[in-house]
Amino acid sequence: MQVFLQTIIGGVSLGAIYALVALGFSLVYRTMGLVNFAHGNVVMVGAYLASTFYLSVRLPFGLAMLIAIVVTGLVGVVIERVLRPLEHKDFDLMLIGTIGFGVVLEAVAVLIWGATGRAVRSPVPARPLDIFGVRVRTYDLLVLAVAALATVGLVLFLQRTKRGAAMQAVAMDHEAATALGIHVGRSNAMAFVIGAGLAALAGGLVGPLLYVSPSMGGTLGIKGFAGAVLGGFGSIPGAIVGGIAIGVLDSFAAGHFQGYSELVTFVVFTVIIMVRPTGVFGERTVNRA
Amino acid sequence: MIRRRRYLAAVTCTAAAAVVAAACSAPGSDKSSSAGGSGPIKIAVVDAQSGQLSSLGAWELKGARLAVGEWNKAGGINGRQIQLDVFDDQGDPTVGTTLARKIDSEGYVAMIGTAESAVTIAMAPTLRQAEIPNITSGQSPGLVAVNSPFLFLNGPTSTTYDETLAKYIVDKKGIKNIALITNNGSFGKGEHDAFSKALASRSVTPVADQVVTSDQKDFSAALTTIRQKRPQLIFLGAEEVESGLIVKQARDLGITAPFAGAAPQGTPVFLDTAGAANVEGTIVSSPYLGNDASDAARKFAAAYKAAYGQDAELHGAKAYDGTQILLTALKTSNAATGKALADAIRSTKYTGLLGNFAYDDTGVGVFATAIGTITGGKLVAESA
Repeated sequence: MQVFLQTIIGGVSLGAIYALVALGFSLVYRTMGLVNFAHGNVVMVGAYLASTFYLSVRLPFGLAMLIAIVVTGLVGVVIERVLRPLEHKDFDLMLIGTIGFGVVLEAVAVLIWGATGRAVRSPVPARPLDIFGVRVRTYDLLVLAVAALATVGLVLFLQRTKRGAAMQAVAMDHEAATALGIHVGRSNAMAFVIGAGLAALAGGLVGPLLYVSPSMGGTLGIKGFAGAVLGGFGSIPGAIVGGIAIGVLDSFAAGHFQGYSELVTFVVFTVIIMVRPTGVFGERTVNRA
Repeated sequence: MIRRRRYLAAVTCTAAAAVVAAACSAPGSDKSSSAGGSGPIKIAVVDAQSGQLSSLGAWELKGARLAVGEWNKAGGINGRQIQLDVFDDQGDPTVGTTLARKIDSEGYVAMIGTAESAVTIAMAPTLRQAEIPNITSGQSPGLVAVNSPFLFLNGPTSTTYDETLAKYIVDKKGIKNIALITNNGSFGKGEHDAFSKALASRSVTPVADQVVTSDQKDFSAALTTIRQKRPQLIFLGAEEVESGLIVKQARDLGITAPFAGAAPQGTPVFLDTAGAANVEGTIVSSPYLGNDASDAARKFAAAYKAAYGQDAELHGAKAYDGTQILLTALKTSNAATGKALADAIRSTKYTGLLGNFAYDDTGVGVFATAIGTITGGKLVAESA
């Protein structure tokens, strides 16, 4: 029983990170119809920025994260600007453009910070809590709290603010949205920036959990993407559920199948998607050519 | 129709010509520049310069460059300078095999690297066919199993590391309650098999034997299972970053038992990733216990620090030794290539930072390691 509970705890903490990554994927897909293949590497950039400000500049962790989110948001602006001419003309090229940006981001990270990477100490020095024999890291609770806040904030933004509603309108029909006076380019830029900000949040949070290196975007991106698809690509609650599900699934697969855990995780994922292709909360909000 | 027949004939002739041309060119036969003549002696350094294992590549490059720099400053070999070129294999065996063909076709006489056993094993057949000697930092017993006369190791194999470790843990310290946690990559599997064998020969059965994947990030399940068995010691068989994460998570889960391991446990990356407090008391089996271990080590560490501003460690020392051996062999064989160079390497006796090198037929030159314990964030030698 203890192994079972501990496995869930372990899975949920990484799952929260995957959920944040999945949120970014789903948001950009929901509003632009674009799968941003650079997303994993944006997470990596966020992780590096947050850890640089936290370790080298010695800012408090929260402040370092905030700066990282802002700077990474700017990276998102640049990417969207560069890809904007392709937006309504050649969708596939735009997709490939994001892959290209991913490669560029990784190369730039190696140029700036070197290939080796760095370990980030936890900002919460307290010992793990012991609840009925199950150990819970205090930092994991922080991650879960931040992820929950971010989700609530995002949902409120999309549903209660004018800009958020405008973003959803652009997703449904960008020509009608333009007719209503919504600047599609700016709206997409905002979506990209928020997506990048979420990625930076995920990256900054995951630094103390794992190890910051230029190649960390790969696994996080894939698992986050799988989480987003599992929950229903484009669905915000789906991204959360899917991300945490992938984290827990991964943890259990590692416990039972040891060396074959990755295989099992993705086989289960494939089976679920084959049975229900639109994912758990599947909705078809985007109507793109 | 006549036009159609002529078209078919033309296509067939072109195809036949292409096949003949391909068959006529010998595989990678562009041995122009450095084959026993003039011009710089070209040596390739192939390692992961990107990806999670890139720290190994960076260390190896620094060690190799230091050695080459010393020789070039002393005049090179027979008046020829040594040219070191770097290739990034990204820790990927497929990229490695492509690079093997590349260094063959571009006239490199020897290769230093890789630090990743799986990539080295993948490159071995191509290098054997091209007759390019390769001195690798890998330590997997799988390298010996390749049985290539052109493959040499610049350190002991996992078998040696783990035999020495098991001897210390079981015979000297009397610890019999041991858990294993290893990954299923080439290095981890080699460590798992070597340590299990060393334990079996002492009639010790591990209380837990958990295998994780190389990319795994969360080890809760494996570590909780181990915790329930209450081992006195946990053996680590994973690379620097992964084993650091394992230790960090183990301490978070309330596991207080000390850890033990081989080469990765002696590196600063392992210490930083796990946290210095968490690795206190880790038993390390390594032929290079620190920069103060001997006069040669001090001299090497000082030169390394002066050149790169960083502290030297095991992998840099291994690459330094390996490159020194290669350069010595090049000198004694008068800048030979191919089989002659391989034979020269095999007959080179060298006293290096890791010990006395004397290569046997299997390509292994060093057969002993030492035991150290991490105390106060530093590796301290255990008195034998």
